Amino acid sequence: MTNNAQTPVQKGDPAQNVEGKWGMVVDQDLCTGCQACVAACSMENNVPFVGEVDTGYGRSQQWIRIERFWNGSYPDVTMTPFQPVMCQQCHNAPCEPVCPVYASVHSLAEDLNLQVYNRCVGTRYCANNCPYQARVFNWRDYMDPRQRPELVTLSNQFNPDVTVRRRGVMEKCTFCIQRIRHAEDTAESENRDIRDGEVVPACAQACPASAITFGRIDDPSTQVSQAALTSRGSHLLEDLGTIPHVTYLAGGA
Amino acid sequence: MSAIAKPLIGSHATEEEDPRQHLMHDPLPRGEMNAMVLDSMHTTTWKYWTLAGILAFVVLTCLIYAWYDLIMEGLGVTGDNRPVYWGIFLVNVVFWIGISHAGTFISAILRVLKIESRRPFTRAAELMTTFGLVQAGLSVFMHMGRVWLSYWLIPIPNERTIWPDFHSPLMWDFMAINTYLLCSTMYLFLPLIPDLAMARDRSTGWRKTFYRILAIGFRGTEGEWKNLKTAMNIFAFAIIPVMFSVHTIVSWDFAMATRPGWSSTVFGPYFVIGALHSGMAAVAVVLFMIRSTMKNMKYFIRPEHFDTLAKLSLMVSMAWAYFYFNDYLVPWYGGDQWEKILQDFTQRGPLGWLWYLMLFCNIVVPWSILWNKKWRQTPWLMAIVGLIINIGMWIERYVIIPEALTINRMPFTWQIYVPKLEIFLTIGTFALFFLLYLLASRLIPLIPVWEVQEGQESHMLRKIGKAHISTVSEID
Amino acid sequence: MSDSTVLLAVFEDIEPASKGIGVLQNLGLSDDQMNVISGIPVKEAILGRPAGRTHVAQIAMGGAVLGLLLGLFLIYGIPYLFPLDAGGQPFYPIPQGLIICFEMTMLGLMGSAFLGMFLDSGFPSYTPKEYVSEISDGRIAVLFHCPSGKQKSFTEALIKAGARSVSPAEARHL
Repeated sequence: MTNNAQTPVQKGDPAQNVEGKWGMVVDQDLCTGCQACVAACSMENNVPFVGEVDTGYGRSQQWIRIERFWNGSYPDVTMTPFQPVMCQQCHNAPCEPVCPVYASVHSLAEDLNLQVYNRCVGTRYCANNCPYQARVFNWRDYMDPRQRPELVTLSNQFNPDVTVRRRGVMEKCTFCIQRIRHAEDTAESENRDIRDGEVVPACAQACPASAITFGRIDDPSTQVSQAALTSRGSHLLEDLGTIPHVTYLAGGA
Repeated sequence: MSAIAKPLIGSHATEEEDPRQHLMHDPLPRGEMNAMVLDSMHTTTWKYWTLAGILAFVVLTCLIYAWYDLIMEGLGVTGDNRPVYWGIFLVNVVFWIGISHAGTFISAILRVLKIESRRPFTRAAELMTTFGLVQAGLSVFMHMGRVWLSYWLIPIPNERTIWPDFHSPLMWDFMAINTYLLCSTMYLFLPLIPDLAMARDRSTGWRKTFYRILAIGFRGTEGEWKNLKTAMNIFAFAIIPVMFSVHTIVSWDFAMATRPGWSSTVFGPYFVIGALHSGMAAVAVVLFMIRSTMKNMKYFIRPEHFDTLAKLSLMVSMAWAYFYFNDYLVPWYGGDQWEKILQDFTQRGPLGWLWYLMLFCNIVVPWSILWNKKWRQTPWLMAIVGLIINIGMWIERYVIIPEALTINRMPFTWQIYVPKLEIFLTIGTFALFFLLYLLASRLIPLIPVWEVQEGQESHMLRKIGKAHISTVSEID
Repeated sequence: MSDSTVLLAVFEDIEPASKGIGVLQNLGLSDDQMNVISGIPVKEAILGRPAGRTHVAQIAMGGAVLGLLLGLFLIYGIPYLFPLDAGGQPFYPIPQGLIICFEMTMLGLMGSAFLGMFLDSGFPSYTPKEYVSEISDGRIAVLFHCPSGKQKSFTEALIKAGARSVSPAEARHL
């Protein structure tokens, strides 16, 4: 694994050489729909508890959702594969050019879509423009202890590596960039490259069926690259030209 | 040169109509017209103060307190959700900007085209522009998640060393709406200066000081008129493309998105015509209210003006129907499955009745009423038609924004929008609009008397053959 | 000028005003010794006056150029100073450039036309000026420098031409 010497240096890049383009593969034939990834992602990334009423109205803030569909009509209903959908980290992300304040920008080095919480003013154009509806908005201060004191103790399990967002700010899956950066820092301090499988986002870590694979897609020898190139692979809404970094495997034995 | 022919009543040299029906052929001495306008400005009855009080109360509760609640609680108090991230606030933004286009249309386009019947109501229309844009601006601020940071959209050097992103249609909006607001306010002020000078000359007390300051020392010398007329000409010609560009840019907020129903190339002109449609209708409503509630206004605002507005409104409603059909036909015929699902949802879904109501208000009502000349010259009827058209146009924006957002390419996320606090805030913006107008009507002369006199001096009845024909000379 | 007084002749309407100006011209006054103040704008040719010059148009053009430069800075200068990648769009986009440059040019054009009008006319000005409030009632006033001693003859000639009144013009606060 080598550094990509062509990576242009942009303002705001971390000082060390940033490695690699990250991608994910989701195997829908393995996914059981257990939602362990949803729970793990919420715990890892300090996603607030929205509560029943607002969730029922479509305001749940989970960064990954398991989409369930069915074939046919009652009583001849058959199941379709579960579809976990998170931010696809599009190469040509439609959410990026529409933000008026540069809160949704692209990391050229890691080829990820970055959401800058402290810059977001909450116009929500990015969310309207995301074809995957992968972005969520902080409609209220759901974890405000003054309004919901029963949730105070949950603050103790907040991940210190991740910002806690206030009301009025957009958020979305970041491919657990805090874990990516942690692995990069560790590798740098140990004077080595990042190993394949060293960066494991929360969803991949929690999945009991090992349906989620993550790694560098610019290196053809990684697990994720090889999984993505199988014949079962496809992308969501491919014809829109967003070039997502998540490949879905379905339709095999 | 106030040349009016001998009385024509009883002469068979003309049609039956008395030319004195027309304001331009019914001149009064300027001093008398001045007095009438000032009289209507100074007259406030208990009804006025009661209405002002009610509106102020509504503004206090439905706008100020509700907005305070919105800011403190967050946008959760509205009906927005995933996928309908934009709801009634954006409907109001588009609606109010649409209303504001009427002022420019009447004040600039009719002036450029030398349509003389525009003379008495340009200022009333321009006031609608300014106050409408205020409501649009407020609605923009209302929809923002962190409105206290909205100054980050201003492109000035700052210590954060970061600038806004002009790739975004919202920044084009920011520049265009601000340009339009500034320019239409300047364009409101320019023709107002001579009337402020007139008010200054005839006022006493605090009004005199007020008008004296605002009239900036205008006297009416040749040089001052030349500069004023040159500036007004530049504005009249230049603000027309700005007007077209503003609502086009607003429409691009939606057209730039890669969503079924929004990604339509016809949105630019479609929205501009929609703006003119709702704006012209709103002018009729406002003129009716002015005419029936303020003293002496029946001299200035006459059935002929409603006739002009109604004829334009009919043409615009036909243009709107053309553009809407365009926007409807293309996805119906060759759109992808999502566009077809969206059309199905819009027409046959739970809110299908709204769609039919929109077509009724925007097409059926104007087309069935505005063709009749006698009805066009009935102010109260035109006001009702104007109100209906505005309701229809508000619904049109509701269909375009929250309804289209419900349907996207990820069916698992589909959710219907149910407005909550936005309803109060909408009522608040309407109340603020009328309150501002109410206050302005007693502070600013609503009729540009110098333009009316200018028009009356230019009009004369010239005997051609056996008839006396109305002619206009260009005395300036 | 110490050898003339400023008189103000008030006329009822355009025809008597143009006659009166003709009288003054015949009596030897040059055009720049007269000024016309009216309640509505009247084409200078109607009154027999030379066409006025205004700088508003030139100021407006200058402002339009400044607006264009501002627009160019906003759309091309900012990404040059702060290149942030967004959505795979080019850093220096042409369509957005056209939009922003158009808006800023129009803003510059109109804003400077407005300011130009203020500058060229010397607004706002609250110093005492020669004026009578009858002017805003639709009358036309001619302000002229009458050579000293000839006041009476000028007054008579103007009254004969149709003036309502001829009196010394006093500068007073408006």
